[in-house]
Amino acid sequence: MTSIIKETQSIKEAVTFINAIDVNKFSRLISRIIQKLHLKGERTFSEDEEQKLQTALSLDKQALDLVLETTAFILEQAVYHNVKPAALQQQLEAVHLNPDKAEMFSQTWAAAGPELVEKLKNNIFAPKKLEYVGWQLNLQMAQSSQARLKSPSAILQLGLRKEDSEVQENVFADFNHQELLEFYNKLEVVQGQLDSLT
Amino acid sequence: MSSSHAKDFSFWGGRIPPEIESMSKNLKDVDQELFRKLMKAVVSSLEGKDCVSLMKSIAESTTIPQDRLGHIVAGMHRVLSEAIRVPPSSLKQEAFKENLRELRIPEDFISDFSSVVFGNRRSALETATSTNDPHLPALQDFKWRVDVAISTSSLSRALRSSVLMQMKLSDGSFHCFEVPLSKFQELRYNTALILKEMNDLEKRSILQIQD
Repeated sequence: MTSIIKETQSIKEAVTFINAIDVNKFSRLISRIIQKLHLKGERTFSEDEEQKLQTALSLDKQALDLVLETTAFILEQAVYHNVKPAALQQQLEAVHLNPDKAEMFSQTWAAAGPELVEKLKNNIFAPKKLEYVGWQLNLQMAQSSQARLKSPSAILQLGLRKEDSEVQENVFADFNHQELLEFYNKLEVVQGQLDSLT
Repeated sequence: MSSSHAKDFSFWGGRIPPEIESMSKNLKDVDQELFRKLMKAVVSSLEGKDCVSLMKSIAESTTIPQDRLGHIVAGMHRVLSEAIRVPPSSLKQEAFKENLRELRIPEDFISDFSSVVFGNRRSALETATSTNDPHLPALQDFKWRVDVAISTSSLSRALRSSVLMQMKLSDGSFHCFEVPLSKFQELRYNTALILKEMNDLEKRSILQIQD
């Protein structure tokens, strides 16, 4: 199995720092990092928390950054290649990480890994994503040009969200019975395609 | 049918609309040819077409003053729009004709009106007039694509399928968006649910009530 962690200069440095950290402290650190790994662009620790970590682990800012980045990197590589926990442990020991730390990585990965992979699989980016489906069925009784209608009409509400925004855009569409039936038939064709993939 | 029965229900509702009343007073000396030309123009305008030039040529071809023509055209427009509003199951041809007879409109003209309201152009007129009514956009065009994401920057083997949808609505707006599988199932399920509810609704007795 090709190694997923190459022993570069910065890896060597990071390993030295990580090896020096107390095991219990490191355990809490790695748990927090893996929890937030799937969130793009979000800081794992706030400025405040990073200050406290520097003191707690006796590391200066640069060293702390290196430790946090490398830990995250190791986990990201594990996810990317979907390595087995045992293999991960072996590879980390190969780059001279202490056995206790390597085992910690491996255990954390075994526990939180599968869920993380699922989350990342669902993180496919697209211009807009459908987040919400709502609907309303009305019985239209009349309109300006038509009295005594009694025609059912459905309003479909689709909530779309752009990739990096919190705002949901609502799209409303009106369907009479025939139109809705045609739409449904098209969805059935899509389903047929999806079924043929599995 | 006795005239008192016809008075119980006129296709224009309660009081005689002023346009219709003034039209009936202005039909003297109007020959059938002129009447039919005016009718054509009115039907054209109900269908949403522009008929300014048509009206001009009609006005030029006759000695009848323009304001009288105006009254006639307004009345025709009102008669036709009111008659088309009511579904044919409720307004029968004979009742319609009877209503017009009360206004002492000549029989030939009544037949002309009748052939528009109960003829084969009726559904086209209904569609044209209903486009002016308020409504939410309808789905005009729907295209889709099934994608499988094989690999991403975070996962070398992702193998996640998704659906990409492109919707064009009747108000011109255009939406292109990705639908995760779970949301697709939700959309499909809900659409089927609404269809079932529509079917149930259409079977219920409220819709069988004839008015």
